[in-house]
Amino acid sequence: MTPIHTLHILNKPPEHPRSVACMNALRPGDALLLTENAVLALAVQGDTAVSIPVYALAPDFVARGLDQSPDRAALVDFPAMVDLTAQAQNVISW
Amino acid sequence: MAAIQLQNYTLVITGAPYSSQAPQTALSFARAAITAGHTLDRVFLYGDGVHLASALSAPPSDETHWPDEWAGFLKDNAIPGVACIASALRRGVVNEPEQKRYELPASNLLDPFVIAGLGEWVEGTMTSSRVIYFHAGG
Amino acid sequence: MSTLIVIDQPPYGTWAGREALDMAFSLAAFDQPVSLLFTGAGVNWLRKLQQTSEIEQKSVEKNLSAAPIFGVEALYADADACTRYGLRLEDMVAGVAMSESNSELLHQYTHTAFAG
Repeated sequence: MTPIHTLHILNKPPEHPRSVACMNALRPGDALLLTENAVLALAVQGDTAVSIPVYALAPDFVARGLDQSPDRAALVDFPAMVDLTAQAQNVISW
Repeated sequence: MAAIQLQNYTLVITGAPYSSQAPQTALSFARAAITAGHTLDRVFLYGDGVHLASALSAPPSDETHWPDEWAGFLKDNAIPGVACIASALRRGVVNEPEQKRYELPASNLLDPFVIAGLGEWVEGTMTSSRVIYFHAGG
Repeated sequence: MSTLIVIDQPPYGTWAGREALDMAFSLAAFDQPVSLLFTGAGVNWLRKLQQTSEIEQKSVEKNLSAAPIFGVEALYADADACTRYGLRLEDMVAGVAMSESNSELLHQYTHTAFAG
């Protein structure tokens, strides 16, 4: 289990200014968790991969009719989301 | 996998029910945290989040009643639910003392929620090991 | 613990920035270290000469000027956003410091909060 410096929880769609700001704030050692409308980032074609671990909340992912196996993120459930927030030194909700 | 250290959480909900997903995400998170053995110090409703503490929400019967779901969860687990007084009064979420003070025609604060100042949030940030915010998604 | 309150929404059109400001003042009132970061369209909070009487809202300019007196440690403005909105230091309320990298700033604080 790699320690996480800052867990960024993003719940805005990719075009939202706060999504853009979040992407610009990511640093090595951080992790990104996509929830709610933010999971739509995984449907955007040709989007550049992020170099830190990316997770997506599975209930939000399947609710939006997205493919079951995203290649740019690991799907997690709520217990795993809780684990991520417990592991991370800091948590930022964007 | 190394054991997860148990945390004491304060949850802050700023997204309103029926205009954002925040109350559902926050409740699923809260249930999972309790199941994992973590504790919830308090749940603080701020901004539009105070609508979750309205006893007068009446969604269609085939939709989840978020205020009731939250109230039930807080009662079952003896977790304080606090609505920010400044946010609440502006938006028409009122308890009986405030109803009397402002001579309003009704009060509508849902049990077990209470109304208190931002100091409750400050205290949460001081006593909890984690503060997690649930905003409207946009 | 040190808190950074982030305001990324412009003033008056929504209440989020106002409520974020209340959070900052509240922490300061309890002697908790807190700073404010204005970024994106949120930098427009900092503009001088806001005349709000005709939209029937209180101007936040006075509150912001009083922030250091109430114990808010710093007012940061994102430098790129200021350039974008044509804001120079002399156009803004007193006591603003420019942030060249929000990413660096965010990593200096243990607790970060947006109002909504």
